[in-house]
Amino acid sequence: MPGLRLRRPATDVVELAALSGRAGDLERIAAGRGTTLPAFGHALLKADRAAVCVRPARWLLLGPPAAPGASAAAWADACAGRGVAVDLSSGIVALDLAGPAVREVLARGCRLDLDPSIFPPGRAAATVMAQVSVILVATRAGVLLLTPSTTARHFGEWLEHTAAPFGIERAAALPFLSGDPHE
Amino acid sequence: MTGPARIANGLLTDPDRPVGFRFDGRSFLGQHGDTLASALLANGVRLVGRSFKYHRPRGVVTAGPEEPAALVEVVGPGGREPNRPATTLPLGEGLVAASQHRWPTLTFDLLSINGVFSRFLPAGFYYKTFMAPGWAWERLYEPLIRRAAGLGRLQPVAGAQAAPAETIHDHADVLVVGAGAAGLAAAHRLGTLGLRVILAEQDEVLGGGALQDARWDTWRAQMDARLRRLGSVRCLTRTCVVGAYEHGVFAALETLTPAETAAFGGLRERFRIIRAQRVLLTTGAIERLIAFAHNDLPGVMQAGAALSYLRRYGVAVGRRPAFFVNNDEAYEAAIALHAAGVEPIVVIDARAESRAAERARAQGLDVHGGAVVQEARGRGRVRAVRIVDRDGRSRELEADCLLVSGGHSPWTALASQSGASLRWDESIAAFTPALDAASGCVAGAARGCFGLARAAADGDAAARALAAGLGRSAVAVAVDPALALPEDAEVTPIAPLWEVRGRGPAFVDLQNDVTTDDVRLAHREGYEHVEHMKRFTTHGMATDQGRIGGLVGSAVLALARGLPVAQVGQPRPRPYLQPLPFAALAGSDVGAHFKPKRRLPLHDAHAAAGATFVAVGLWLRPLVYSTETGWGPVLKEARRVRRSAGVTDVSSLGKIDVQGPGAARFLDFVYANTISTLAVGRARYGIMLREDGMLFDDGTVARLGAEHFILTTTTANGAAALEHLEFHLQACCPELDVVLTDVGDQWAQFAVAGPRAREIVAAVVPGIDLANEAFPFMAAAAATIAGLAGRLFRISFSGELAYELAVPAGEATGAWRAVLEAGRPFEIAPYGLDALNTLRIEKGHVTGAELNGNTSADDLGFGRLLKKQGDFIGRTLSRRPGLAAPDRLQLVGVRPLDRTKRLRNGAQLVAPGAAGTGLGYVTSSTPCVLEDGWFGLALLAGGRQRIGQRLHAVAATHGEQIEVEIASPHRLDPKNTRVHS
Amino acid sequence: MLRIRCPWCGVRDEAEFRYRGDASVRRPRGDAGLAAFTDYAYVRDNPRGWHLEWWLHVGGCRRLLKVSRHTVSHAIHAVGAPDDHLPPPPDGARE
Repeated sequence: MPGLRLRRPATDVVELAALSGRAGDLERIAAGRGTTLPAFGHALLKADRAAVCVRPARWLLLGPPAAPGASAAAWADACAGRGVAVDLSSGIVALDLAGPAVREVLARGCRLDLDPSIFPPGRAAATVMAQVSVILVATRAGVLLLTPSTTARHFGEWLEHTAAPFGIERAAALPFLSGDPHE
Repeated sequence: MTGPARIANGLLTDPDRPVGFRFDGRSFLGQHGDTLASALLANGVRLVGRSFKYHRPRGVVTAGPEEPAALVEVVGPGGREPNRPATTLPLGEGLVAASQHRWPTLTFDLLSINGVFSRFLPAGFYYKTFMAPGWAWERLYEPLIRRAAGLGRLQPVAGAQAAPAETIHDHADVLVVGAGAAGLAAAHRLGTLGLRVILAEQDEVLGGGALQDARWDTWRAQMDARLRRLGSVRCLTRTCVVGAYEHGVFAALETLTPAETAAFGGLRERFRIIRAQRVLLTTGAIERLIAFAHNDLPGVMQAGAALSYLRRYGVAVGRRPAFFVNNDEAYEAAIALHAAGVEPIVVIDARAESRAAERARAQGLDVHGGAVVQEARGRGRVRAVRIVDRDGRSRELEADCLLVSGGHSPWTALASQSGASLRWDESIAAFTPALDAASGCVAGAARGCFGLARAAADGDAAARALAAGLGRSAVAVAVDPALALPEDAEVTPIAPLWEVRGRGPAFVDLQNDVTTDDVRLAHREGYEHVEHMKRFTTHGMATDQGRIGGLVGSAVLALARGLPVAQVGQPRPRPYLQPLPFAALAGSDVGAHFKPKRRLPLHDAHAAAGATFVAVGLWLRPLVYSTETGWGPVLKEARRVRRSAGVTDVSSLGKIDVQGPGAARFLDFVYANTISTLAVGRARYGIMLREDGMLFDDGTVARLGAEHFILTTTTANGAAALEHLEFHLQACCPELDVVLTDVGDQWAQFAVAGPRAREIVAAVVPGIDLANEAFPFMAAAAATIAGLAGRLFRISFSGELAYELAVPAGEATGAWRAVLEAGRPFEIAPYGLDALNTLRIEKGHVTGAELNGNTSADDLGFGRLLKKQGDFIGRTLSRRPGLAAPDRLQLVGVRPLDRTKRLRNGAQLVAPGAAGTGLGYVTSSTPCVLEDGWFGLALLAGGRQRIGQRLHAVAATHGEQIEVEIASPHRLDPKNTRVHS
Repeated sequence: MLRIRCPWCGVRDEAEFRYRGDASVRRPRGDAGLAAFTDYAYVRDNPRGWHLEWWLHVGGCRRLLKVSRHTVSHAIHAVGAPDDHLPPPPDGARE
């Protein structure tokens, strides 16, 4: 059994940022659109979308791929005057890590304490690994990792190199998240 | 049994698994589980190296990482690795090791003449003797000293890969350092209270001092098993904590077992960075030496080491041992050796009487109370010891080894580094540490609690206190009878003894060859402070950091100064507490992972088009679409742009999305020119200053909506510019409601440039009227590009009619192909960074060479951009008088008069015939695209006043001097007709 | 290595932060003149003791933090947002 199963789900990413004092408004607008915005340091994962909060009053919304820019435009319209929505679908790459060695592999680059008692499923954090910015979301099966696209290949090479002693299994494409819904 | 001195089965060795190894060319057999030291001792090998300064013969002194003498080179396929302590080097099958510091052979060492003349080589000798003449250092003294000295040698390995290494980040509630009786008891207590514990033990097995006593075998085994069952305790053996840092951070080096090494691709060591809320230092105590004449002779060892070799490896370090002690604890070794059948054993105890002496005599050992050893005698190894009896008579006793114990010093290095204060404890004649409760605590022998049962109880108590401090109060736990502790023996206190004066060198630091006379010399020369004495004599500065002799040196100094040791103190050992390979520190940030590589969204398309890539900062950018070197292919790409059209990838530019009601005001503050007046659908060249008035970065600002801007920064400053904006927004303008988003990775952007650019762009952006009036220079718009929602800017960096097309990076390949397809009738081709530079230099656009941090806006000709009204970063200091000085270095163009001469970057500009300093220098240069000769940009003192003058460009490194004409930096199309066409 | 307690992200390694200088100096008003801006740009105290500093959490939430750090012991006694008034450092600064 491989220690690490590595999948790369295709996602749309929209960054939603509240204007001053408008975070509550965005939460209501999002609720109206069927999305709950999580508290800072948390993520809400469903089968086909996710919301992650690792910056104050800012959320990354992950969803199934659509026409480039379409979801951001829809969010921007809905939040006009209260928040800003920017498309980052091309700027961020998602890696879905599962398997028994996930935390051991990540400990070789991640300075954060990922012990389940500290970082249980549903927690999220922004940090730096292999000299690259990453956002980590604890899932039941492992970790959903978001990283900038221009360094994603470099990060992937580092990850595969680091995980090699534990055994690694790659799944080429994935419709979206790994079927790890919880809320 | 393997080897003549193997008299029993060891705890760690397996007599059924013989292991062959070579030392200095000779073949030996050891046992699985041996260290190199135990295997050599089992084979009766005493001489294992020579000392580094005097080349005195040296043997094994200790049984652990405190070893000062038995350092060897390990010879492997990857080269030679020096300075491995034989006492911790596991004996692997086929191990090849060699002694150090001998020339030509270990037993016949020509340089040991240093020893004969050692009275001429005291501490400070090098500083004083090799002073003059100056030339002699390089040619005479240094080669000689290097021949004679040096701690081992590294042998470069041609073509070999760097050893793999990795760093692991660890976290714990409590880090327990040292798994002796105190550490085991503490870790067990902390674990049962539910705290996350890392128990780090430098030894390969848990137990520490409890390994030395057979009565503790059951307790040890039970503890070991219980800890392994506790999920909250991680036991890291072979893991030496090598440094303690502020805020609960510790560095540790883990040595892998051969099996792990094989599984991890040859990885030998792991560097661990451990973060702990509290630390519990149960690092034990280290037996110290006593200084007497020739106390470095092979066969002079630590008494506790003799016990270790017997218990762990079944090896008797001698058949006729003499002990020299001043404390009861040391008797355990004598009694154990005696019980194992070694006799006769003689003990020389500096104290007249003691409980341990009584116990030893009862078992038939010969104890000389009130006596001291004055000298170890023998050539190359101990043959006899000269003692002075209690009545003052001197006599010689036959012995084949001398086992010394001057007492036990708590190993306080980590505590000191953690900020502990040290207190002198007369009852053990040593310093003990006390740690601030917020950091953790020290327990067991590490704070002078000697005796295994006492230490275990102390560890448990410390663990309860720590747990309470972390909010886990200990529930009453019934005493488990299976875990009952064997009782400690009653002891008579130590009588401090540091030195026995006699004839011959008495060493306090065996690795650095420092004697008690050296310490006294330091004192006589005024190096009285213990830290000064350390540096003058190098006492404690070797890889063992003076573990066994450090305090003895302090005591000798104290005696010389007429002060108690308590007042003199001891030097603080600094990280790292054990030699550490650089590879372990570098971890995995080596080779391909040394720094991140940023790849353009179109990286693969560029590679397929034959690009040669160049690293620019973190980016890999196409330099030229050819594998040919030289200017030919570059100029071909550039000419195509000037004559028809080319396309280049500018995705590496930093891109920042700025939105919100305060966006325009914020940009007015961070840019030196006015942004708020920019109309929606227009772009503007913008410059940012630093607060000191110097240029920070430049780029374009496009207004996509009333409250929506998109900025570009230079490639080099992408990350820095974002930080600059974030810092000033939060620190200086918190009242402005602005959202900054880094969209550098989101957008691919390419420039289509050249006289035919409009026709090509029109084909891929059908929805926009590109006529000059409808979409003039510096227009910006959201646009559908090759079917994608993108953005179109009419911006030029080449001096030509040009457009920049931005599309989502994930879809960039299609848009790029569409441009190439649309440009096919115009023979469009991609151009690389070299051609881009060539084009921009001719146009006089600046990049990093000119935006070098020392140039002001005015220096580069941007003075008129600085807004007159309103505050902005750098406004006030950009107007300081110094920046208006007429001799500022100003941007100019440089054209060699001789069209066949090359202009070089960095060439100094000097007035013809004038000696002295240059007037400026060439920052960027290029062959001209459509004409002969070279053109360059330069920073020249009072440059704008010199336009039209002739100067010399001197490239001293190339031995070139050419005549140049100073010109406007804008060689191409100064009236901008092309970009507006 | 420092460990800085980010008010948002919790305790994080120094490596995640970018030091942005002395937080005890505040940018003068735009019309404050050359002398005031010279002081702001160049003149810094170099205290042996408690020091107010800017740290930008670039590797985390990207918020700017005001940190009170002891320059000898590296002890950090308070961290806050840019506009926060940090509690005064303890008397008898630990060294």
